[in-house]
Amino acid sequence: MKKKTIILIAVIGVVAVLLFSLVGSYNGFVDKAEEVESARSTISTYLQRRADLIPNFVNTVKGYSDYEKETYTAVTEARAAVGKASSVAEQEQAEERLNGAISVWVNAVTEAYPELKANTQYLALQDELSGSENRIATARRDYNKVAKEYNVKIKRFPGNLLAGIFGFDAVDYFEADEGASSVPQVSFD
Amino acid sequence: MKKLRVFSIIAVVSFCLLIFSGCSEESVPLKPTEKFFVNDFADVISDSDEQLIYSQGKSLQERTTAQVVAVTVDTVNGEEIAEYSLNLGREWGIGQKDKDNGILILLAVEDREVYISVGYGLEGAMPDSKTGRILDNYAIPYFSEDNFSGGLVAVYDAVVNEVLIENGIAPDEDYIPADELPTETEDSEAGHVVISWIILVVLVVIYVFIFKGRGIFFIGGPPFGGGFMGGSSAGRRGGSFGGGSFGGFSGGGGSFGGGGAGRGF
Repeated sequence: MKKKTIILIAVIGVVAVLLFSLVGSYNGFVDKAEEVESARSTISTYLQRRADLIPNFVNTVKGYSDYEKETYTAVTEARAAVGKASSVAEQEQAEERLNGAISVWVNAVTEAYPELKANTQYLALQDELSGSENRIATARRDYNKVAKEYNVKIKRFPGNLLAGIFGFDAVDYFEADEGASSVPQVSFD
Repeated sequence: MKKLRVFSIIAVVSFCLLIFSGCSEESVPLKPTEKFFVNDFADVISDSDEQLIYSQGKSLQERTTAQVVAVTVDTVNGEEIAEYSLNLGREWGIGQKDKDNGILILLAVEDREVYISVGYGLEGAMPDSKTGRILDNYAIPYFSEDNFSGGLVAVYDAVVNEVLIENGIAPDEDYIPADELPTETEDSEAGHVVISWIILVVLVVIYVFIFKGRGIFFIGGPPFGGGFMGGSSAGRRGGSFGGGSFGGFSGGGGSFGGGGAGRGF
């Protein structure tokens, strides 16, 4: 009788400890998944911010004859593609294309009209634009960091068992963004 | 038996250490100096200008809790200066944790680049365009002539005043807010030159006055070691050099999100 009680208590104890650690790691997954989600939405915010700057940019350089229409067409097309993208991967690809198109266009405009470098409004927009690029790049790095923490958490033993049961899937990383290094730079020599 | 036990304890402990050492963060090797607000690793700021920046930074923190930090380095080792600056600002935790009100002014002397990183909480006071404008108006005219000390004093002063304005505190009487600067950069540059000349003349007069007795031959040389531009900016605000002891200041845990602007010169 007494022995049985001890065993019972021991079993309950073990189960309780297991349950607590189970709840603990489940909550840990949820927290990390939430961080990943918020990091992702930060990226979207900054992508939107950059997209919103394009019309301002157009207005500023409108006065300059055809403001490099050819390269600008690529920007509008890329921008439309971002709106149409349905999947996450597609959207990322479209954003990359837009990123590249903007850089090419801005560089073309600046090259064709060097006098723009003396235009305060133009400089301001270029600062805002490269600031947006920096924010996007930073947000992506931050996202990758929490995504890695999250992925490690759900892939490591014994977390992986639990993650499998509750359906926590690994998330993708942003690959090193080649476009980020070709941010339009304002330089005075 | 005892040996075995000791051995197994060591084994367990080292195993634990191995597990917990996990991934190490990539970190900026630089550590803040005792002056915190001014960290002249490239050794380009004159002592008096360093004092000036320090006392301004200290007073700003005391009045608004915001932290403005100036850092000079020789080079950022081929990294993007924007990224380097951001990492440094985050690593040092410039600004207060709950307000993210830190600003980092980073000058890479050999790279001939300058970047201002703005913490989340001050992005309203210093949007990227204004930050770029402040650099154009206050830093570049000095930096392009290799007057790093004078340029940093000028740009630091401008940033501090913008933060004061944001906090509803009246800026210095002689400070023109970046929003109200004339749109033609040429004008203000001309202004700087005129002011520099006036100050040079005043310095020469003082010099002559002081050394009158020793003959007039010395006038040819530069009156002070730092060159007249550096002298001029120091002259813009005298006072509070008495201080002496530093320390007591460190990052408040603020963070940065990639806001800011940079220039090559």
